[in-house]
Amino acid sequence: MTTETEVDLQGVNGDAAGAATGIEHGAELMSFAESLAQRDEYGLARSRTALRQAAGDKVLVDAAGVAANFQRMVRIADSIGIPFDNMQSDFVNSIQTELNLTRFASAQHSLADIQ
Amino acid sequence: MSHFDYSELEIAIREDIPATYAAYWQRLAAPGNWWTGTERVAIAQETRNALTCAFCAERKQALSPYGVAGKHDHSGVLDERVVDVVHRIITDQNRITQAFVDDNAANGLSKPAYVELVGIAVTVFSIDEFHRALGVPVEALPEPSVGEPSGYTPPNLVSDMGFVPTIPAEGATANEADLWQPGFAHNVVRALSLVPDAVRDWHKVAGAQYLSLPGMQNMVQDENRSINRMQMELLAGRVSSVNECFY
Repeated sequence: MTTETEVDLQGVNGDAAGAATGIEHGAELMSFAESLAQRDEYGLARSRTALRQAAGDKVLVDAAGVAANFQRMVRIADSIGIPFDNMQSDFVNSIQTELNLTRFASAQHSLADIQ
Repeated sequence: MSHFDYSELEIAIREDIPATYAAYWQRLAAPGNWWTGTERVAIAQETRNALTCAFCAERKQALSPYGVAGKHDHSGVLDERVVDVVHRIITDQNRITQAFVDDNAANGLSKPAYVELVGIAVTVFSIDEFHRALGVPVEALPEPSVGEPSGYTPPNLVSDMGFVPTIPAEGATANEADLWQPGFAHNVVRALSLVPDAVRDWHKVAGAQYLSLPGMQNMVQDENRSINRMQMELLAGRVSSVNECFY
């Protein structure tokens, strides 16, 4: 099942307008996640307040949970060196290309298997 | 002592979150498969020490992690090599290599012990990050329980991906039958399966912070969450991008 919603993937790369395209509170969520991962404490305080004011406490708590979860997931993936599961998919490859993900050093864990 | 009491906070926290964290804290304090309770809690403490470690900050800026020499700021409980591994996982994880893991294994940090250590470090870190995200102080670490590690190794291991052996997708049987259902064995789920309890912790904490494994198949919105899947994936994607994680 899909929602048929048009989104702009560049929100993942930090584009606030892209994050807001098709995603409710997308700019606030993106900024919140970004400042947490960058360990920007001033930015985190500001984005926490902005998200709370825009979306409320429940969204803030759920967003904190998801962001914290992926601070864990990225470290599992990189510490174990796992490859991405579906490197043969054209859809997946198109997303990886659009986001220029091969610029990351950890891409080698996935690319080595298909070279 | 009661852990994860959020009753005095200005914002309400879903009840399953403190319950999950408190249960994990109990498991953290107990002996694992390869580490004692004291060592497990010491690993947890090193995840916090890494964030203020001057050597880690210097190494993160270096072209190569091996281009600078120095000593970590740490609590003195764990061997320097173990401290280095915990700090790397927290502050410089995307430059961990097969050679790094193999070299540690050849010098006393076995791959099963490494996997258990990874599981502890990342879980404690994510719980701490939840607190930091909300502007809440981190929880005091638990008092370790006495006892010896079990030394349990699962059967059916393969070396078909990553830096360590894992249970293959079809290999979660017998004692490991609860690890995943057929069709739910993505690489990130299998990643820690050399230590099955680390996978179980993965499920439980992810289920509170993000979604349960079956819940991840719902691409629209979980009824117990205030944000939909697109909002979740935007958060996940931005955190992963800042961390330069390809996966």
